[in-house]
Amino acid sequence: MIPVLEDHAKVWLASAGLPVPLGERAITAEAAAAITERLGGESVIKALIPAGRRGKGGAVIRARTPQQAANAAGRLLGATVSGYLVSSVYVEQLVPITSEFYLAFTFDQDGPCVVLSRHGGVDIEASAAPPDATLTTEVIAATRGLRPWQAIDLWHRAGVRGPVLRELGTLTSRLYDCFRHHDAELLEINPLAIDLLGHAVLVGAMLGLDRDAKGRHPEWDNIVDATADFAPRTSREARVAAIDATVPGGECRYVELGGDIGLLVGGGGAGLYQHDRMLGYGGRPANHSVTPPTGSDNRKLKVVIEAIIDNPRARALLVGFNFAQMARADIRVRTLLEVVDEKGIDTAQFPIVIRLFGAGEEEARARVAGRKGIHYLPREASLDDAIRLIVSLAADATATRAS
Amino acid sequence: MSILIDGSTRILVQGITGGQAQVDTERALRYGARIVAGVTPGRGGENVHGVPVFDTVAHASSAHVIDAAIIYTPPLAVRDATLESIECAVPLIVVTAEGVPVHDVAFIVAAANDAGIRLVGCNTNGIISPGKSRIGGIGGVDPSEMYVPGRIGICSRSGGMSAELARTLKMHGLGVSTCVSMGGDRITGTRMAAFALLFEQDPETDAIVVFGEPGTANEQELAAAIAAKKITKPVVALVAGAFQESYPAGQTFGHAAALVRSAADSASAKKAVLRNAGAVVAETLDDIPQLLRNALAQTVRATVHERTA
Repeated sequence: MIPVLEDHAKVWLASAGLPVPLGERAITAEAAAAITERLGGESVIKALIPAGRRGKGGAVIRARTPQQAANAAGRLLGATVSGYLVSSVYVEQLVPITSEFYLAFTFDQDGPCVVLSRHGGVDIEASAAPPDATLTTEVIAATRGLRPWQAIDLWHRAGVRGPVLRELGTLTSRLYDCFRHHDAELLEINPLAIDLLGHAVLVGAMLGLDRDAKGRHPEWDNIVDATADFAPRTSREARVAAIDATVPGGECRYVELGGDIGLLVGGGGAGLYQHDRMLGYGGRPANHSVTPPTGSDNRKLKVVIEAIIDNPRARALLVGFNFAQMARADIRVRTLLEVVDEKGIDTAQFPIVIRLFGAGEEEARARVAGRKGIHYLPREASLDDAIRLIVSLAADATATRAS
Repeated sequence: MSILIDGSTRILVQGITGGQAQVDTERALRYGARIVAGVTPGRGGENVHGVPVFDTVAHASSAHVIDAAIIYTPPLAVRDATLESIECAVPLIVVTAEGVPVHDVAFIVAAANDAGIRLVGCNTNGIISPGKSRIGGIGGVDPSEMYVPGRIGICSRSGGMSAELARTLKMHGLGVSTCVSMGGDRITGTRMAAFALLFEQDPETDAIVVFGEPGTANEQELAAAIAAKKITKPVVALVAGAFQESYPAGQTFGHAAALVRSAADSASAKKAVLRNAGAVVAETLDDIPQLLRNALAQTVRATVHERTA
C-alpha cells in the first residue's frame, strides 16, 4: 500500500467536491503561525506521517493563537512519531463540531468493505485496533457500488437517527466512489464531523493506494517519491529499496531479521515454509528476501545478494527455491558467484547451500564445481534437506570462528 | 475422474500470442490438453502451435465449444478480459496474472459469482489433472517429475508449494487426482473450502492435501466444512508462516495476502482450528506421505467397522 499524506488526500477529496476544512502544509513553525493567521487565528496542527492513530500519539494539537500554532509545529517538526520522522505538518482550519463519526473503506477476502461507527474521534482509536461491537461492517457488492440508501441503512444500523442520516448516506456513497476512483486500499475518515450548521465535514483523512494500480495512475508518481523515505532501514535495506524503485521488472525486497543465516529464497509459500523450518531446525534467518524471476537483467538480484552477504551478522547462505521455479538457474548462480568473488568471500568460511533446479541447471552446477563450501544439492533433495544442511554448516562455521 | 479439468475439457487461451502463453500452450498441448482456440484482439486468423486465434471470445465461442478459459493478459487488462469470458458464459475461468489491482479483482469475482461462473485465481499457477490435462504454467517443462496420476487432491495457496507437495508425494509412491494452485491473493475467485468440497464429491479422490498461509479465512472456512461433516475425506494440512509471529506485526514476508491482520489470521491459529476440526496438521513436507497413509488406513478401518457393525 502506498500511503498518501493527509494534505494530499484532502486535495483529492476536495477536488471531488467533498467537504474538507481549509488547510496547508508547513515545514517551519513560522509558516504554521502564518497559515493559522490566515485561517482566522485558530488551527489544528497535525504531523504529516503515513500512520493513523495520531490523536492518541500526541501528533494532533489544537492551537488557539498563531503563537500556539508555532509552538505546536515546533514541537512536532523533527520529532519521531510512531517510528516516523516528522518533516512537515498540516495546518488546518479549526472546525467547531457537534458530533463525530467514524467511517472507513477497506478490503477483506469478500471484497470491498465499509466500516462505520457513531463514535468517532480519538476515542475510537483505542477500540479500532480489535474491531468491536461499536463498529458496523458490511461487504459492498463491487459490481454495484454503495448506493446512498444502502449507506443510510448502515448508519441507521449503527444507531444514527434524524436529519443527519441523509447527509451521511450521500457522503458515504460518494466517498466509496472516490475510494474506487483512486484505486485505494484504505480510506479512513476519522472524525467525520457534523458542524454547527448540521453539515458533515471530513476532518481526519487517511488514504492508502493500491501499488498494483500504479500503472494506470501517472498522477501517483510524486506521491510515491514523497513517502518512499519514511520507513527506517539499514543502509543495505535502503540500497535494495532504491533499486526496487528505479529498475523495472518484478519486485525485490530485503529485510534484516537479526539471525545469522542469509536467505535467498522464493517470495511466496516456499519462502514462508523455509523460514518456518529453519526456526524448527534451530537456525536463525539473517534476513527475508524477495527477488524477481530474473531475465537478462540481473541488477535487482545482484543488489539483494550483495545486501545478504554484506550483512555483518550473516555467517552462511541458503539459496532455496521450489522445484518448479521458473527463473534461469545459471543466471542466479552466476550472479551469486560474481558477488562472492568481487567481495573476496572465502566460501570455506561462509558456507552456501543451493537447492535450485530448472533451466540452465547444468551450467549452474558446472560453475560451482570444485568451490569449497558451496553445496549444490542433487535433484532428490527436499527443501528440508537443504535447510538442515545449512543450519548445521552455519553452526560449524560459528564454532570454528569462536575457537 | 478429477476435478475442474480432464482430457475432454475444451480450453480457450486469452492472450495466446504473449510469450508465457505461447510457452504454456505448447507444453499443455504436448501434455494432451485440448486447447481449441486462442484470443488476441487484432491477431484473428493466425495460429499458435496449430491453435486458431480469434479477435474476440465471442468469435472463438461461435466456432468452438469452450469449457474453460485461461487468461494471460497483463494485470491491468485482466478485468476486461475476464468480463469478456464471463459475458460469453465460459463456465470455468482461470486468471494467471499477479498484481491485478484489488478493485479489479473484487469486481471480476463479484461478476463471476453473479453469473454462476467458477473463477480460479487471480495469481494462480494453474490446474493439473495428471495424465489428463493441464491449464496454466503448473508442472513446468516436464510435469511427470512432480505430478503422477493418483488419488490425492491438492489445493495450494502457493504455486511453488503445489510442485513441492506433488513431488513429495511422488517420491513416496503417491499420485495426484487434481492439483489446484488457487492463488495467493487476499481475494480469490474460488476459496480453499470450495475446492475441498469438489474433491469430496470426486469418486477418484481419496484424501486432500492443502497448503495454507497466514491472512484470510480460507483455512478457517475449510475447518468449518470439516467440522460440519461436509468434508469427510481425510485432510492433511501444511500451513506455513508461523515464524511471522515472532516478528513485529504488519511486516509482509510472502504473498500479499500473507499479512497477519489479527491473531485469528496467524498460521498457528489456523493450524489449531484445522486440528480441532479433525484435519491432520503436518509440520514438514516430508511427513505428509506417512500422515496420508495413516489417515487413509483409519478411513478404511472405519468403513470396515461400519460394515461389520
